[in-house]
Amino acid sequence: MKRKRILAAAAALTVLLAGCSNGNNPNTSAESGGDASGGKEQVEIKVWLTPQWKGVLDASEEGADYDSFFKRAAEKFAAQYDKYDAKLNVEVIAGDQRDQLLNVNLSGGTPPDVFFESVFAMGDYVHRGALVPLTDIVDDAAKQDIADNYWSSVTFGDDIYFYPFQNNPGTLVYNADMFRAAGLENDIGGENEIKTWTLADYERILMTLKEKLPGTPYAGAYPMALYAVNNQGDTWNLAYLRMFGSTFFDAEGNIALDDANGAKAAAWLKSIKDAGYTNPGPESVSSNDANGMFQNQQLAISFTNPVLYANAKADMASGKAPKFDARLANIPSESGDPLTFTYVVGASVFQTKDEKRIEVAKDFVKFFSTDPELVKSSKNGIPVRSSVAEAFKGENPLFAAYDANAKYLFNFTGNVPGYSQLREVLYPELQALYTGAKTPEQAVKDYQAAGNKVIETNKANSVIFGGK
Amino acid sequence: MRLRKQALQANLTGYLFILPQMAIFLLFLVYPIVEGIRLSLYQINYQNERFVGLDNYASLFSDPVFFKALLNTVVFVVCIVLLTVGFALFAASAVFDKNAKYVSFIRGSYYIPVMVSMVVMSMVWSFLLNPASGLISYLAREAGAGQVNVLGGGKTVMPVIIFVTFATNVGQTIILYIAAMIGVPKDLFEAAEVDGASRWQTIRHILIPSVQPSTVYISIINIIAVLKIFVVIQLLTGGGPNNGSVTLMYYLYNNAFKFNQLGTASAVGVIMFLITLLLSVPQLRSMLRQT
Repeated sequence: MKRKRILAAAAALTVLLAGCSNGNNPNTSAESGGDASGGKEQVEIKVWLTPQWKGVLDASEEGADYDSFFKRAAEKFAAQYDKYDAKLNVEVIAGDQRDQLLNVNLSGGTPPDVFFESVFAMGDYVHRGALVPLTDIVDDAAKQDIADNYWSSVTFGDDIYFYPFQNNPGTLVYNADMFRAAGLENDIGGENEIKTWTLADYERILMTLKEKLPGTPYAGAYPMALYAVNNQGDTWNLAYLRMFGSTFFDAEGNIALDDANGAKAAAWLKSIKDAGYTNPGPESVSSNDANGMFQNQQLAISFTNPVLYANAKADMASGKAPKFDARLANIPSESGDPLTFTYVVGASVFQTKDEKRIEVAKDFVKFFSTDPELVKSSKNGIPVRSSVAEAFKGENPLFAAYDANAKYLFNFTGNVPGYSQLREVLYPELQALYTGAKTPEQAVKDYQAAGNKVIETNKANSVIFGGK
Repeated sequence: MRLRKQALQANLTGYLFILPQMAIFLLFLVYPIVEGIRLSLYQINYQNERFVGLDNYASLFSDPVFFKALLNTVVFVVCIVLLTVGFALFAASAVFDKNAKYVSFIRGSYYIPVMVSMVVMSMVWSFLLNPASGLISYLAREAGAGQVNVLGGGKTVMPVIIFVTFATNVGQTIILYIAAMIGVPKDLFEAAEVDGASRWQTIRHILIPSVQPSTVYISIINIIAVLKIFVVIQLLTGGGPNNGSVTLMYYLYNNAFKFNQLGTASAVGVIMFLITLLLSVPQLRSMLRQT
């Protein structure tokens, strides 16, 4: 009897463990060495991207979505690829979850193979040794077609870590209909112009919008977007902090905002908030909120880049958002020269420690970054390839305006290690500034101290700086 | 020796039956705790890890945001647990002896928010409280109260989060109290009635002491739950304004997943584990006493 009970228990345990072991079968997605198909070894890779543009070529296509381009690129790549039977799984992840997802997956040993994103957000992963160099897949033809400043922004140490695809210059966007309603016709730029206002003009525009914008149909509307609840859209906040001449970083790559210029910029932000020239409660408002408010005509001036601008226009055309006359403007500065920056967007390849997957990932990056048909999609931002910009300049006259703006570009990351972490110490200080918990002087001082501590720590751990 | 072998053979079936549970317990509960303690002594990068002793703890204790998170967490625990236990006792004692349908209605009404995901609740509150486009802010403006931003005020953000968390979770506690109160012997209430005790005296001297084991259990469970408060902070305030609503769990999350400081995050985890362990001692004691 006892023997029977023991046998029964052992059988039950075996069944249970067998069940567990079946359930724990390794998921073969993103693994190499799967079943052979058509005589070629199957290699499966993960391609991640944050939302960039909708559609393959543009958002007007039926069923256009953020992953349309990469799904098409994956199909085209797999069809012509002769080394392996490549299977590419495309996944769109939210921009504000990027670091969380990447860190969790890096810690768990399951990073994506390819990541398509703005380079500024990915520089830390180069410093941490999580990305592989792409220098060997960049040929002379690409170097000639893509200008040097783009290559320099994707080069860390001696190697290229991102394949530039397009760039997204950051500007302001304004509702010209609201300007007209407030009697600001003379301040409206051309449809294909990036209007430059002086700082005095800009302050007058804000004041006029506040005082003269009619309640109908603009009830509850505010002149300008201001937000600081998290790090999203913080590059515009960084630009505002340079409005009075701050260089932001010193020659050693440390933050140098704690001076009269930095404090003056912080004081200016607080003053426009207190004067009611911005949406209320910027400390609790996100850039997403601000973007939504602009599209609903609750804000006259907001932030944008070519992708956001194109998506907003597509939403207006499709009836998803109210139609109005949206135009572009530069961020003004005290000197009169506008402030502008750009996000170079491109693909990187993660160090998955699987040679075959890395090989396929690099081949895929090279394929979609050089394929004559696929690179045309870079027109959704501003193409980094001169050939594409030239081909589409008739279709998008703004390409010339962005080009004219290029001389005012500033490098907002300073190429410092720990930039992602650095972003996390800015918005708490802006919140303290807006709520009055800190004076402008104290806010810039505390940001500089906290930021430089982040930079110092990350320099010590950077593979580029030889810290480990 | 022979006796011990015999005893082992006699109990082998039992050991085999608890083996899967023990394996899961060791793998998914004990191992992470041990690994967390180990990681808290290391500086971890993507490519390697380096033993740094107590440096992670030292950096924690030199960070004012950590102390702010600790203080905020204590305030949340004290306020939310007191509010939850106090209100649940009040609501349960008011209805437990009423008509069964009425009791069911009350239970259901308070339990609905518990069934809704905390993410959804936080998003709804975020929509209501957004200072620029939220409904409450809009109504306040229309009513002439000016700009209202309770999430952006250093003095208002904590009470708002306390209220949102309390309102979402109190249903569970009310259910537990009503169940406990229904189980209190009726003869005690009849004796009190014969003695001419008032409703308040009955609650004060019979009901509350009778449900004391439930109160201990509810308090401990709520303390542990509130110590880990995260979703509402992440979605409603992002720890702001100026770290005014940051909690230990949110601080841990930031270090682990935003700052990539896994060692520091593990140190926070170890400290939270110790706090939880200390707070669980009364419950463990009472359980051991019962056995």
